[in-house]
Amino acid sequence: MRYRPTPLFANAVFVFSVALLVAVGVWYLVAGGTPPLSASLHLTQADWQRVDAPGFSAPPSTLDSKALPDTWQRVVLPLALPILPMDVRPQADAAGPIRTTWVKLSTQGQPLPSGPLALYGIRVKTGGTIAVYANGRLVHRAQQQGQLWNSLFTPLWVVLDKSTGDAPLSEILIRVEHSPSSRVALSSLWLGPAEALRGRYYVRQWLQRELPATLNAAFLVVGLFALLVWFKRRHEMAYLLFFNLAAVSFVGHLHYYADLPITQGWFAWLTANALFWLVMVLHLFLCQLHGRALIGLTRAVVGTTGVISVLTLPVLGVLPVFPSTSLLVPLVYAIVVLMAATICLVGGIYAWRRSREGRLLAIGLGVCTLLGVPDWLLHNDVISPEGWFLGAYTNAVTFGMFGLLMYRRYVNAIGEVEQLNAGLAQRLQAREAELELSHQQLREAQVRQTISDERQRLMQDMHDGLGSSLISAIRSVEHGGVSELKVSQILKDCLDDLKLTIDSMEPVEADLLLLLATLRFRLEPRLEGTGIALLWEVQELPTLAWLDPSSALHILRIVQESIANILRHTRATEIRVSTALEADGVRVCIEDNGQGFDVDKALGTATGRGLHNQQRRAQAVDGTVTWLSEPAGTQFTLWLPLKRGALAT
Amino acid sequence: MQTLHTAPEPLPIHVVIVEDDLGFRDALSQIVQTVPDMRLAGMASTRAEGLALLQGPPADVLLVDLGLPDGSGIDVIRAAALQWPSCSIMVSTNFGDETHVMRSIEAGAAGYLLKDSSPAKMIDEIRSLANGGSPISPIIARQVLAHFRQAAAGKAGTQESTADPATQQSVLSAREKEVLNFITKGFSTPEIAKLMQLSHFTVRSFVRRIYSKLKVTSKAEAIYEAKTLGLLAD
Repeated sequence: MRYRPTPLFANAVFVFSVALLVAVGVWYLVAGGTPPLSASLHLTQADWQRVDAPGFSAPPSTLDSKALPDTWQRVVLPLALPILPMDVRPQADAAGPIRTTWVKLSTQGQPLPSGPLALYGIRVKTGGTIAVYANGRLVHRAQQQGQLWNSLFTPLWVVLDKSTGDAPLSEILIRVEHSPSSRVALSSLWLGPAEALRGRYYVRQWLQRELPATLNAAFLVVGLFALLVWFKRRHEMAYLLFFNLAAVSFVGHLHYYADLPITQGWFAWLTANALFWLVMVLHLFLCQLHGRALIGLTRAVVGTTGVISVLTLPVLGVLPVFPSTSLLVPLVYAIVVLMAATICLVGGIYAWRRSREGRLLAIGLGVCTLLGVPDWLLHNDVISPEGWFLGAYTNAVTFGMFGLLMYRRYVNAIGEVEQLNAGLAQRLQAREAELELSHQQLREAQVRQTISDERQRLMQDMHDGLGSSLISAIRSVEHGGVSELKVSQILKDCLDDLKLTIDSMEPVEADLLLLLATLRFRLEPRLEGTGIALLWEVQELPTLAWLDPSSALHILRIVQESIANILRHTRATEIRVSTALEADGVRVCIEDNGQGFDVDKALGTATGRGLHNQQRRAQAVDGTVTWLSEPAGTQFTLWLPLKRGALAT
Repeated sequence: MQTLHTAPEPLPIHVVIVEDDLGFRDALSQIVQTVPDMRLAGMASTRAEGLALLQGPPADVLLVDLGLPDGSGIDVIRAAALQWPSCSIMVSTNFGDETHVMRSIEAGAAGYLLKDSSPAKMIDEIRSLANGGSPISPIIARQVLAHFRQAAAGKAGTQESTADPATQQSVLSAREKEVLNFITKGFSTPEIAKLMQLSHFTVRSFVRRIYSKLKVTSKAEAIYEAKTLGLLAD
């Protein structure tokens, strides 16, 4: 028996576990900022201008905004600046002209909270360097080597030192360097006590970067698990595909977390193409699930993926690749979104009726495609730069989806095993019942056979013995001339016959002596009054295993006939019954002191029928009978084997 | 033997017959009435009548047939063993077969009468029974031996105290076993008496004692079985 906890206990464990997680989450969020958000300042008004320069330059440590050209334009944050064409061709020279965009935020006249301040912004989007000045002093630098892979997903967080502040903070200046072809965008900014803003910063950071990173790692681990399963079960391609999916997905999403500058073309190539591969693998997976090859679509998908993968190879340089994202990003992402949407639709249609898992996968792919849309929109400044890059979560969706598939398979497998075991037990039970039934039938058949044999034996006996005696008695009475004494004698013989039959069925337990004793007990009343003395000189005999009721009756009849013959035909005064044990048999001797008879002659005539009967019966039990007759008496001997071939047990 | 003649006429043996075979009943009652030392004290032809007779004064010998029209003669034997403890009960049977006789003895009978016996033999048997003797056949002797062997084997596991009177009562003595063994080998009562140097009568009284032990052990076994089956409290 397996231990089963009560439902109450199970529920308690469940509630406790969930409560534990919720409590930790709440503690983490609440511990960040106790001061209310209203204590901080939301900066949405700004001025901007741009200055073109021949190349990148390090930001000076102090800078007066009044030293800049006075071409400020008033804007409202969040701000996404359009790409303005330049006189110089963008990609002709990587170190070519650089545009510097300035954004100035004034806090003059605004009520500033006391104590150390922090500056928080959701995103600064630029292909180049970022520098932040407070009251003209450099307080923050980022992306000195150019854009980092995770820049777009990393919020701006600057703690302003108190030492700045003999004078209260009046101006924040942001200097952004970038190539003229790359887009620049800035979210609205918050200024306030670090404790008040840290919560927002952490939540943004966690949801946009850390949570997807964790899920990505988890996906890879589960992928490795699938790989191990595939090692053991090579014929199940799905596990290998799953590992492949996890690997590609991991690589494809690495750019959301990699804190490295975008300089290496190979990594860009991997990042961009991993998405195509991901979509392709999902397509193959879907085909496996709904069981249709969809050759045309498969060719198109594989072909597109292959062509794009080759064309974007950094060594070939046919298509512009990272770090020049300007052309590639909108195009490539548009193609991949289109491809994913097609596969999702077609796969969904085919899987809808055939495979629940396929349906699930198609839905997941659809969700992933939708999640990719905001990324594309953000990259192309179609929506506010304060939005979320949800593409980071496609991994989570894929992971969740496949996790669900695996969960379903696992639970189903357990169910199947249990069902199989139950079925096995049931089959075993059925077999046992069948076996029991056949045994019972066999036993019944044996019993029937025994009864049939016994019936046949009794029928034969009644027919030969009691039946014929009664018939002769009836005939004698009908013909008349028979004394009542004679009739009584005949009937008594009949009764004796019957008694022998009954005695043959008594449990003699293979004891020949007991059988003879029973016969004597029966015959004693008949001898009484005849004046004949019975000398009982028996010896202990071994048990005869073959002595069944049928053999017992034969022996009883042989001995009875022998004594009856003495009573009928001789004038003996003494009968001596003795037994003796021999090498392979036992001997029963019945001697009388009568006048004797010619054995050969008696056997030759019809009157010797009794003797023939004795011979026949002796043969039936593999024994022999012999007569040794002299004028002074007759010795009758019954020899019986100790063991009988067929019946020896 | 001398004393018997000088003593006043011994009390006659009162015989009660419970038998539904009218021919045999009439023959038997006539036989009983012809001998001077016997009195026919009552007759019944059903189980109910037989049980009713037991309310009256006890007889010396009760002859019961097993196959009564309204039930088994075993019930009558059992009731008689309780209500007429001094009475010798005899079951009348066609064949003296083991099954019927053993059941009767276990119920309290002390002997059996073969229905095809000669009148002289019947008188002898009744007289012998009234005097405390009992008849036995080889097959029954073997069954009795087997019964006590089994009982002894069963007891050996539970308790060894032979000092216990109840145990002693349910164990055959060496002489009793010897008698039974001779009978299973086919020796007659006179032959056994000679072989064991006993009187003819003693051998038959041995058999009576054996029968009463059989009855006791059967009862003990029934109680033991009932206890193990939980029908009786310990």
